[in-house]
Amino acid sequence: MQLQRLIRTLDTFWEKRDCAIVQPYDMAMGAGTFHPATFFGALGPQPSRVAYVQPSRRPTDGRYGENPLRMQRYYQYQVLLKPTPDNMQQLYLESLRACGIRLEDHDIRFVQDDWESPTLGAWGLGWEVWMDSLEVTQFTYFQQVGGIDLEHIACEITYGLERIAMFAQRTEGVYQLAYGPGVSYGDLHLANEKEGSEYNFHHADVALHQELFAKYETDAKRLLAAKMLMPAYEQLLQCSHTFNLLDARGAVSQSDRPRFVLRIRSLAKQCAELYLERITGAGGGSQGTGEASAK
Amino acid sequence: MKRSKISHAPRPTPHAPQAADLLLEIGTEELPAAYLPDLIDQLRREAAALLAANHLTAGEVSAWGAPRRLVLHIRALCAVQRKPAVEVRGPSQQAAYDKEGNPTQALLGFLRSQQGSVNHTKLISGDKGAYVFLVKPAITTPTVKVLPELLPQLIGKLKAPKTMRWDASGVRFARPIRWLLALYGTTPIRCTCGRLSSAARTWIDGPKHPRAVAVKSPEQYLAALTRSGTLLNQDERRAWIEQTINKAAKQAGGRIAPEMISYGLLDEVTHLVERPVPLEGRFDSSYLALPREVLLASMAKHQRVFAIDAGSKLAPRLVAILEGTPAKPQQVRQVIERILNARLADSLLFWKEDLKRPLETVPISGIAVHEKLGSMQDKAERLRQLAHTLAELWQLGPEERRDLERACRLAKADLATTMVREFPTLQGIMGKHYALQQGEPRAVAEAIGEHYLPLADKLPKTLLGGALSIIDKYDTLAGYFSIGIQPTGDQDPFGLRRAAQGIVEVAWSVHRPLRLDALLKTRATLKPFGANAQADAAAIGRGIRQYLVDRLYTFAWPKPAPSVDCIDAVLASPGDDLIDLMDRIRMLQQLYGHPALLKAAKVIERTRNILKGASVSQRDVDPAHLKEAPERTLWDLYQQQHGRVAELAQRKSYADATRLFGEQFFEPLHAFFDHVLVNVPEEPLKQNRLALMRAIHQLYTDRIADLSKLSILQTAQPKES
Repeated sequence: MQLQRLIRTLDTFWEKRDCAIVQPYDMAMGAGTFHPATFFGALGPQPSRVAYVQPSRRPTDGRYGENPLRMQRYYQYQVLLKPTPDNMQQLYLESLRACGIRLEDHDIRFVQDDWESPTLGAWGLGWEVWMDSLEVTQFTYFQQVGGIDLEHIACEITYGLERIAMFAQRTEGVYQLAYGPGVSYGDLHLANEKEGSEYNFHHADVALHQELFAKYETDAKRLLAAKMLMPAYEQLLQCSHTFNLLDARGAVSQSDRPRFVLRIRSLAKQCAELYLERITGAGGGSQGTGEASAK
Repeated sequence: MKRSKISHAPRPTPHAPQAADLLLEIGTEELPAAYLPDLIDQLRREAAALLAANHLTAGEVSAWGAPRRLVLHIRALCAVQRKPAVEVRGPSQQAAYDKEGNPTQALLGFLRSQQGSVNHTKLISGDKGAYVFLVKPAITTPTVKVLPELLPQLIGKLKAPKTMRWDASGVRFARPIRWLLALYGTTPIRCTCGRLSSAARTWIDGPKHPRAVAVKSPEQYLAALTRSGTLLNQDERRAWIEQTINKAAKQAGGRIAPEMISYGLLDEVTHLVERPVPLEGRFDSSYLALPREVLLASMAKHQRVFAIDAGSKLAPRLVAILEGTPAKPQQVRQVIERILNARLADSLLFWKEDLKRPLETVPISGIAVHEKLGSMQDKAERLRQLAHTLAELWQLGPEERRDLERACRLAKADLATTMVREFPTLQGIMGKHYALQQGEPRAVAEAIGEHYLPLADKLPKTLLGGALSIIDKYDTLAGYFSIGIQPTGDQDPFGLRRAAQGIVEVAWSVHRPLRLDALLKTRATLKPFGANAQADAAAIGRGIRQYLVDRLYTFAWPKPAPSVDCIDAVLASPGDDLIDLMDRIRMLQQLYGHPALLKAAKVIERTRNILKGASVSQRDVDPAHLKEAPERTLWDLYQQQHGRVAELAQRKSYADATRLFGEQFFEPLHAFFDHVLVNVPEEPLKQNRLALMRAIHQLYTDRIADLSKLSILQTAQPKES
């Protein structure tokens, strides 16, 4: 199954299970969790059912297109269901079947993963799903988002699209994947992986990005003060990606790291609080703010 | 498959009502492998406790577990709960009845809360007057009526390091609970947990093809699991996996790499599967160029596959343990091999990249120890200084000094290598390999490789490894203490307790002098340390010393371990060298029960008792004031012997010193106390005698131990010779 068809198959699968199929967010981000549909969708009592592809940027994971499994930009397919159905695991496994994967041929394992996104103030418990010892999906029951303890639990499924396509197509590496008619994944992305890795590790301007980080942060604070939710959140996204780039450039020392993370998390917390204030009309409503129970 | 040995023959009981076996299955989504052993253990312990607390008798209580189920099996659980009769004390007679003898509100309230009637009360008089007692008769309840309440209680008692919620019911557990099966014999027990109700069925064949199976009895349940290939009993599962891997390794002409067991992979894998199936594979032999630890880390930590030793080196082989048999094992094998090869290719790239840069040029000034404790670069410099001090204490030769200094300089460099960033647990180990590759002396490389020890019972084997391990930990301890961070209770986020314990363990195994004062003096001159150098340094130093010597109580002493009073006794005496303190403790343990030690202890005890509370203003004994024969004898003896005792102590012949002290002083001191009164009205006489007592007392306690702390003094009396 070509990758573009795989995406359509998942769209159809989740659409039939009452999910809104939304589009990728049009800004650079490290994971589908940063998409507002998940970050805000997980907060508050209202039901959420969404699915979408999110191109994800991981500057430090770039391997110049030489590693068959690691890339600095790749696709996540993300599903968020709240409330969480009792047969969540089964739904997920059925979706793999829909993608043409014969489960009986494989060794499938749910291996403990205490997922955490320190910058988003989010954590949850769940698993890495392993197929024949390769992690293909992250499966998480959110417990906290934006530093806020969740009363209404959302479950997040993050498919590694390329890896699942590799199983569906039985190719050995990501660049040989058939993307669409006559087009391979390599045709579309290999050159960018090489150049992107070069940029992330060597060419990104450290001074510029340090300055940008500070400016995005200042702007986010200003917008939060003006109660401009999405504009503030978008500045947070900029901060997060800029931090990742600085990290890839080796410009973040071990001692700087916690401070950067804390600065972004503080913005995430304020965005979450502002969002809840909007939907409930007052503060966190029944949701406790539980920084203390975060890992 | 017929591998399970859980026997499930029903046990008939002759008398009605008949006992029956209880089965409780808590069906979950995959529980973390690391939590399972403890959850299983809790299930068994809590169930037994709950039975006892609820007057239920039973046979054997077993608990088993696998990723998707926790199972409790209780043999021959009694059919009837018999709560014995009890008498519950209520209000006093005075408060219970009014003047007319009618029950008051106090009595009625008591009866209401106890669900009793006034007909079942009686008055019992005691020391404090008469009280109303409610007599609750013995109650028998069918067990089937008790269980629906007890089983959810039991589930609620299971604790995990991290728990979660998955729906709005508020129930918390390690992972979502998805089904409950409870059977008492053939009777289904209906109980609930959150939104979930029990049903007489289980789920088998794993999450890929879950199959509901109706279950009529505990025996049938166990049989159904066995038929599906499930090895429910974790001990049997572990043994089966170990045996299977060993068999595969043997066929390949090797054996399972021992680290796979010692580092816990076997235990982990045991709790990752319930229907284990082995799968053998290979990896590209060109990766054998990588250090063994790197290969093992990739295999065990990332893919949970087992490595095989052929002779003394790894074979390019692996054994994976799968969950159930896949339809196309060849395909699975190919993928596992491909993933491992890709990971090892990454590692080989790291290895080659890292080797391009000599360790001494790797920048570590950007890696912080702690925001107030500077960088790893600062730490390396402090280690070098501490190494000088230790080299003096240990009287190292010039070559050893040079190697140790070099090791200090390079020890932390691997933290900035790509390999250690990828595999943090390889810190030290990679440093050693890179040092060797870059032509550093072997002693330098070994010291780097050993300086994070002790870990998992492994101690440094080389002298310089021991030295670096000690000063690294000492610097950590002193640094954190100097910025006011100390472990409290269970909280030890910076690993200071482990560091202190490590110092004691390594110091004992190296067994060279470890003078804490000298280390502190050096450390206090190095930044950062305390705000106001001198005053702070003394207080901080006392804190560190106290913390370190307190570890002697938890140190795993060689057997037979010294009792606590031996440690108390030595720590009550002066001493700066940790090893010397430990030697004295060991000596007391070895002499424990020996008459000479008891005699010495008696001397210390009696002299201490007379000195206690007395104000001794005279420093030295004045022979001119010795009046009585026994005190003159004692003084002469002291004159003759104190030099010998002191010299033996000086030479650290503590056992000889103790024997001599006990044998020489016990009887003369006894005679002295029999015939001479110390606390006489004549002050000069009294002072002189006190001075004599103190001289004898301190001759020993200033050098070895305060034996008055020994508990043998409470139980044994020395035999008069």
